[in-house]
Amino acid sequence: MVAPIYIIAAALGTAFTLGLLHKTGKTLPYVLMTLALGLMTFISLEWLLAFLIDGQKEEIIYTAGFKPPFSISLLMGKMEAVFISIVNTMAFLGSIYMARDLKNKGVNSMLIYLLLIMGLNVVIMTRDIFNLFVFLEVSSIATAGLLLIGGRKNAVSAGLKYLIATGTIAGFLLIGIIFFYYYAGSLSLDDIIASKESWISVGNIALLLVLLSVILELKPFPANGWALDVYQGANPGIGAIISASSATAMVYVLYKMMPLASEAWNYVIIGIGLLSFVASNIAGIKQTNAQRLLGYSSVGQIGLAVAIVGMHQWLGSGLMTILLAMLASHFLAKAGLFWLAGIVNKETTKEWGILRNKPVLLFLMGTFIFALLGFPPFPSFFGKWELIMSLSDLGQYGIVSLILIGSLFEAVYMLRWLGYAIKEDKEEAVNFSIHWEKFLPVGIVATALYAAGYFFGWKSGYSDWYKYMPLAFAAALFLLDFLPVYVKNSITLLGMGWYFFEMYTQYTGLKFVFFIIFIGGGLLIFLAGYYKKGKRVGFYPLAILMYAGLALMLEASNMLEFFFAWEIMTAGSYFLIIRGKKSMTHALNYALFSIGGAFLILAGFGITQAGKDGLSLELLYQVGSMSPYVFILLAIGFMTKTASMGLHIWLPGAHAEAETDVSPMVSAVLLKAGVYGLIITMISLGNQFIGGINIQVVLAWIGVLTALMGNMMAAFQEDAKRLLAYSSIGQLGYVLFGLALMSHLGWLTAISVAINHFLFKAMLFLAIGGVVLRTKTKYMYQMGGLIKKMPITFIVVLIGIITLSGVPPLSGFAGKWLFYNAILEKGWYLQGAVLFFAGVIAFLYCFRLIHTIFLGQLKDEHRKVKEAPFWLLLPQILVIVGIMVLSAFPNSILKPLGEVLYSYFPEGALSWNDQLANSIYGYWDGKMVLYVVVAIFASVFLWALIVTRKSQKVKQFNIVYAAERPFRPETTHFAYNFFAPFKKALGFLVYPGITNFWNRVGQSTMAGADALRKIYNGNGQAYVLHIVLFFIVVYFITAGGF
Amino acid sequence: MLRKGIITVILIGFAVMLLQLFLSFNGNEDLNTTALHYAENGIEEVGAANLVTSVVVTYRGLDTLGEVTILFLTAAIIGLFLKLTREEKSEKREVRPTSEILQTAMKVLVPVIFLFGIYVFINGHLTPGGGFQGGAIIASGILLMFLADPNRKISHGLIAVIESISGISFVIIGILGIVLAGGFLDNHILPLGKFGTLLSAGAVPLIYIFVGLKVGSELSNIIYYLNQTQKEKK
Amino acid sequence: MKFLSPEYISMAAGFLVILIGIWGILANKNLIRMIIGFSLFDTGIHIVMVAISYLKDRTAPIIDETINTQEIAKQITDPVPQALVLTAIVIGLGVTALMLVYAMKLHKEKKSLDITKFNDLKW
Repeated sequence: MVAPIYIIAAALGTAFTLGLLHKTGKTLPYVLMTLALGLMTFISLEWLLAFLIDGQKEEIIYTAGFKPPFSISLLMGKMEAVFISIVNTMAFLGSIYMARDLKNKGVNSMLIYLLLIMGLNVVIMTRDIFNLFVFLEVSSIATAGLLLIGGRKNAVSAGLKYLIATGTIAGFLLIGIIFFYYYAGSLSLDDIIASKESWISVGNIALLLVLLSVILELKPFPANGWALDVYQGANPGIGAIISASSATAMVYVLYKMMPLASEAWNYVIIGIGLLSFVASNIAGIKQTNAQRLLGYSSVGQIGLAVAIVGMHQWLGSGLMTILLAMLASHFLAKAGLFWLAGIVNKETTKEWGILRNKPVLLFLMGTFIFALLGFPPFPSFFGKWELIMSLSDLGQYGIVSLILIGSLFEAVYMLRWLGYAIKEDKEEAVNFSIHWEKFLPVGIVATALYAAGYFFGWKSGYSDWYKYMPLAFAAALFLLDFLPVYVKNSITLLGMGWYFFEMYTQYTGLKFVFFIIFIGGGLLIFLAGYYKKGKRVGFYPLAILMYAGLALMLEASNMLEFFFAWEIMTAGSYFLIIRGKKSMTHALNYALFSIGGAFLILAGFGITQAGKDGLSLELLYQVGSMSPYVFILLAIGFMTKTASMGLHIWLPGAHAEAETDVSPMVSAVLLKAGVYGLIITMISLGNQFIGGINIQVVLAWIGVLTALMGNMMAAFQEDAKRLLAYSSIGQLGYVLFGLALMSHLGWLTAISVAINHFLFKAMLFLAIGGVVLRTKTKYMYQMGGLIKKMPITFIVVLIGIITLSGVPPLSGFAGKWLFYNAILEKGWYLQGAVLFFAGVIAFLYCFRLIHTIFLGQLKDEHRKVKEAPFWLLLPQILVIVGIMVLSAFPNSILKPLGEVLYSYFPEGALSWNDQLANSIYGYWDGKMVLYVVVAIFASVFLWALIVTRKSQKVKQFNIVYAAERPFRPETTHFAYNFFAPFKKALGFLVYPGITNFWNRVGQSTMAGADALRKIYNGNGQAYVLHIVLFFIVVYFITAGGF
Repeated sequence: MLRKGIITVILIGFAVMLLQLFLSFNGNEDLNTTALHYAENGIEEVGAANLVTSVVVTYRGLDTLGEVTILFLTAAIIGLFLKLTREEKSEKREVRPTSEILQTAMKVLVPVIFLFGIYVFINGHLTPGGGFQGGAIIASGILLMFLADPNRKISHGLIAVIESISGISFVIIGILGIVLAGGFLDNHILPLGKFGTLLSAGAVPLIYIFVGLKVGSELSNIIYYLNQTQKEKK
Repeated sequence: MKFLSPEYISMAAGFLVILIGIWGILANKNLIRMIIGFSLFDTGIHIVMVAISYLKDRTAPIIDETINTQEIAKQITDPVPQALVLTAIVIGLGVTALMLVYAMKLHKEKKSLDITKFNDLKW
């Protein structure tokens, strides 16, 4: 073991030697510096390993051979080893990244860099408060100096602001330190802590000065304008070090100082930290400069870390795991993003579209951003999970909600940025070269993120290899991404097929139904994947990511696993959605609603497990007095996925703009994840009342209104895919209503509607997708007469809408029939009437779908349109077979389903007699209905054939048009605004109140963010003012510093 | 006006804080434990007559290393500045010639100033003074040279070499402390000698010589660089 | 009247200088004046540090012939703050020098020392 003092000696010795090497060229000094950093890294990692593996005891380093307090001592304990390892490793990687910059700027820049890192090492290890001050100054001054290694505009003014701000802070720190010396007669931190009793009554101001100075070094809101300017003005390599190494080191300093503070201070520190977290993330929303954006995010994340340190008494032994998990995501991802910023070398976030030519870099950027947002499998996911669970145990729900709100705001700007990189239309993708030494560190930190994620997952009890298998499959597909589509599609089908056959025996009951929808449906839709040519870069890993989430969700036995799966699914589907055309904003909306919903679920889980052992999903059965709240949280959370009214605005755009075979994935399959969640919630929590109101009644009404609104909106659409998207909203409204009935028949309905929706929506989206593919337009008024060109598609759509509208004989009718039975049984006649009305409206849009697209005149430009590709048709035909079977033999599914539901709702079950279903209100024989309807249809058809023999064919162009050229040609099309009279009568019902509401929420948040960030007026003097004011305000809030 | 108001409020608020701090100050009756230890054992343990020197160089030697580093950093940053902004080298400035008195006085005084500076840091362990003070005095000599002739050429390379060599020596002495004595920067690597004489207190005088040289050259460097920045292209 | 004793007077003076320094930093838009304010702020802190080391009727902690080596502890003032103040002064010097260089550089850019003009980085 190399003594830790050699870290300092090596750094200083090398730095002083570098001073001699001004004339020896650039490589030798650079090599020396890297060697020194390497040695420092080696020593720290050696200690870290010794602590982790050999159970090394902590060691005190006495300088000058005397014991403290008479001389300065350093401590090398486990935590110190962890933190200096982080600092040094990041610095070492940073030095590789900045090789060119450092060599360009010469020896001085290298020695400044080295001394910065040395300063941070001492700051972490020292146990002497004056020594802390000295080496803080070393690192502050070095940071100010490094800002000169420009690359960005205005670095010098940022440097001066930084100097003035940190100088002021250091001054306050020094006043505090000298008074501590006066009170305690010692400068040793341990002595001062030990003699706390003797000075605590008079030392409040000194304590305030010291604590707040350390906190101010961590850039708390609002006294952090100087830091933001630094992040913006610094060379990205330096920004990475400030954010990753310096901030991390300072978090540890704060942790080290915490024993000085009295308990009341904890609340102040938590408050400051959370304020920084929330406020910085709000202020970041308006940001367009990439590095400043990272600055806001950094300040926010560190704010959260400060809050966590403040919670040390609550979190106890769990503190370090949580803190390190959060920090690991922060420093790895933040450094990675700063480094990427250097590679991209574009100032505004919108310009990051140039990454599109570099899928690997884009992948890394996605990795970093999702790591920052706390998605699995990254460390912060587990950190956040543990934090929320611990806080829920303590009943600190206020703090939980602040943390989640702040995280949501962070997601807004981070995902918008990612959206720009993936999708912003304006940006021309230009090629640019990447130096390997810049790429290497980025790759390493990304790898480290995954590794750290596994480590913290293991710490949280999420380590079984098979739980990572689906993710590994996605990763493997990522590595195989260079292969052509048909190979990757086959691999995907094989993999998923294997999984399907391996697992389908494992599930029974409702889980089995959803297993078939998720995985079986996935297989079916992937069949369509063969229609694509080329490579389809990035599609397969992301699609598999979503299915991995769905599969893991079914496998989940506890809440952590469930949430893990839920988030994986959200991430995967986000990427699938953003692949569509013009889908940037829709994908962002989707992600924000999903993340918001996920946070509600997280909070619900938190409350559920509070005060109980373990995390099993079974705990949902025994929530106790909090159960109405848990129910509401979970229900709203899952309803963001089912797009119930109020939470639906993301869906139409997301589904309509998605690729041909992605639309069915995100519609037919993905929406059912929300249904699954709702089912779990309702099964385990049952009927819930809040303030005397039955929540299920409210949900039922939401379902009814969703159905009505969705169907009406669908009827008024001109865009065929959007029509289908709105129709999904409506159908999911039925499902929600059925579930809310909380009866056997209600659930049977809901689940059969869900199954039907899966079938016909997959079919319709593929069919309409095929039409869009061939006609190159989504607008129905630009289509017409396609029946002759695309007859198979026509039949598919026809069967689809028959199923959808619930008329006999197809399986949709079973849903309807059950529905009215269920409603009658419950006695909710008003809701039933509205639903019936909504069902009528469904006919309207179904009619449009078949009439406008396939009937009428063929458009001139569509004369050469061909039938949809075989691979798109194949799954549709398979679905038709399925629908036929279900229609003819309804008991094949409804009967077993009824048996499953019997265990939850024994009353009111159907009684079956072959295909004859009996309820108390009547009976229904699926097979007989099918025969009857087919017979009627056949006879009418025959009759029509006979009577229309004499009919004359009308040529297309025997119409005389008026000589006027319309300003908007589509307005003269008969199918444009087809339901204008209905719109006139009922349009007020679809007044976009909800969209407006969310727009207004968005706008006012933006306005708030803009107002908030105005305090950072760029004036260095104002920043000092903020700092001094910060002291005074806290002084008065704490009534004289406790 | 608003600004003035805010500043006044801030100052008053801060004054309240400082007043509370002031009221917590109650004078000293006697040395506290740390100082007492130095007073009672300083002679034995370190052997320097100037107890402040014992504290600065040995007991809190790491701080001193840090502060030397800060000066070093400052000089390096200013040097970096110069490198980044200088467009043409050694352009002569048009400056008004300095007076005869200043030039003559410089020639007489500079050697004396240097000598005095060296005296101050060599005797740092015995008398008031030490490496920093001595170094500052030496640098003031350099400053005087530049005042007398702003275009004067001094051997910047030599200054840099002195600076680095003394820095490295300081670190090496520190490491020798680990190897030969009790810890980093322990002064017992040399015998303590007779108390109160020049060759006493172990490595303290040696360290102070290097500190003096280093501070002198660092400050000179800063002055040199600052003078150089004036030669930037207008 | 205990507050008339030198340590109280110098400490009060130190605090006053600190306040003046803060006022200098906050109230002057001119960079050089701000830096002067900053120096004053530092100096005030140094005065406070020295005041803390003060002990009545004692001499500097340098052991020469005027000090009875048997009872050193009764005759000298506290050496620690004096050592600290030395370090603090040097650090303050470094910081001030750097600020001046940055200010000089900024002046070259915009021909102005008004800090409010260097607000290109904001929001």
